[in-house]
Amino acid sequence: MPNSRQPLQSEPAAIRPLPTLRHAGQLFETERRLNAVLNNASVSIFLMDDRQHCIYMNRAAEELTGWTLDEVLARDCPLHDIVHHTYPDGRPFPLHECAIDRAFPENNQERGEEVFVHRDGHFYPVGFTASPIRDDSANIIGTIIEVRNISDEKAAAERQRLLINELNHRVKNTLATVQSIAAQTFRGRTDLAVRAVFDARMTALSTAHNVLVEDNWESASLVSVIERSLAPHLLAEVDVNRFQLDGPDARLHPKVAVTLAMALHELMTNAAKYGALSTGEGKVSVTWALSDLGGGQQQLDLTWQEQDGPPVTPPTRKGFGSRLIERQLPLEFDGSAVITYAPAGVVCAMRIPLTQLGWIGQETVEGSLAP
Amino acid sequence: MTMLTGRRVLLVEDESLVAMFAEDMLLDLGCEVVIAMRLEQGLTLARDEDFDLAVLDVNLGNTRSYPIADLLFERCIPFLFATGYGRQGLEAAYQAVPVLQKPYQADPLEHLLTRLLTCEAPAHKGASSVPSTCRCQPAEVEQGRFRADPIR
Repeated sequence: MPNSRQPLQSEPAAIRPLPTLRHAGQLFETERRLNAVLNNASVSIFLMDDRQHCIYMNRAAEELTGWTLDEVLARDCPLHDIVHHTYPDGRPFPLHECAIDRAFPENNQERGEEVFVHRDGHFYPVGFTASPIRDDSANIIGTIIEVRNISDEKAAAERQRLLINELNHRVKNTLATVQSIAAQTFRGRTDLAVRAVFDARMTALSTAHNVLVEDNWESASLVSVIERSLAPHLLAEVDVNRFQLDGPDARLHPKVAVTLAMALHELMTNAAKYGALSTGEGKVSVTWALSDLGGGQQQLDLTWQEQDGPPVTPPTRKGFGSRLIERQLPLEFDGSAVITYAPAGVVCAMRIPLTQLGWIGQETVEGSLAP
Repeated sequence: MTMLTGRRVLLVEDESLVAMFAEDMLLDLGCEVVIAMRLEQGLTLARDEDFDLAVLDVNLGNTRSYPIADLLFERCIPFLFATGYGRQGLEAAYQAVPVLQKPYQADPLEHLLTRLLTCEAPAHKGASSVPSTCRCQPAEVEQGRFRADPIR
């Protein structure tokens, strides 16, 4: 590296010429290639000695910081004091508090985010990767630090956050508006019980969306969906022991989350009206398991089971709930759902192959499968 | 009795609650309804069964319903697209297909389905110059010729 004064400060043995570079011409050629690589790289590269002084920086690093290598060398102080000396709130930032400095002797490819100060005084966010440099005897004699300006990524993330907030706001508002329109339209024309059913369904839909909001609309937690669907009824219940929930968590596609939440709401409403929750003694258990279908796809088997309620008689008419669960759910997800009106208690067995996470315009989403 | 009474309609719609709503609407119009909620189901039905009409939701989860539309074109089964995005959301090749703006409403649905049955020529694959009237000209566009979008 032509601009650095010295190789890394170390034992004299480290300074001896590399045996493979026999000729000066070959050395020159190697150095030229190395410089071509370093000075055309868009990532900033800093080479630090064991005192945290910068002994080399590439062209991208000069542009990033506003300082030239010669100026940095002339300052003869830790690089931290040149590009990282102040916290964004104006407090001085001493070297010993610096995460990049702490990364120094220990770990390979230590990563993090920091905020640097440009020569002209403005702050900018950076992502860094720091790795130690070792001599022939594996002693750590310095650090190589890659730094990227992540202002654009930060701005994009901020825009996305704003858009998601707007989306949340719009969706919730639209649902509330629909509720209001229904209330105004049917005022005095529908009996209150019907209105109450409608309001409860709207609330269930809205709750399902709350779960999605929490994970940026990418996916929803299965456990959250189940707990939230039952929550309004749980709150009304004195004895929580009447419910038994058991199964592992998984990430659900937003569509699955909403339909499942609506299905559970209908089961819950039915149980409260006619089933196990219509008396003081009845119990409801919701148990589920996940199995692998191969190709990274999982299947959810969920069983809703009521017991100790009044004797069950099958309904004479199939309503919204059973239509949604028994017909739509299998059609929508290529699964199956069967409601059995056993005398001892209603049982609903659902089998849903879990869709890959993601949506149109987003080829794949990194959604972790449940452990 | 209307023209739609007893007609067999393929309904492709991927949201359970919306599918139920659209189905009820079609049943109220006197149609017999067969629902598909996924692309594969829709393709199988469009290939193997006979329908008088079809209503296709454009977005089906991670895919679009265009392959079903292609089958319906081949079999000369008249159909419409239902979408919340309007005609602008359609690919150029399907611009001639009538569009029902979502959310579903009974009157426009009935009007468009009736028109599909009365039109002499079913919609062709290709750009349309007469998207929202009932003149139903074949609307052939010469290949490669520039054509401005009609103002809406």
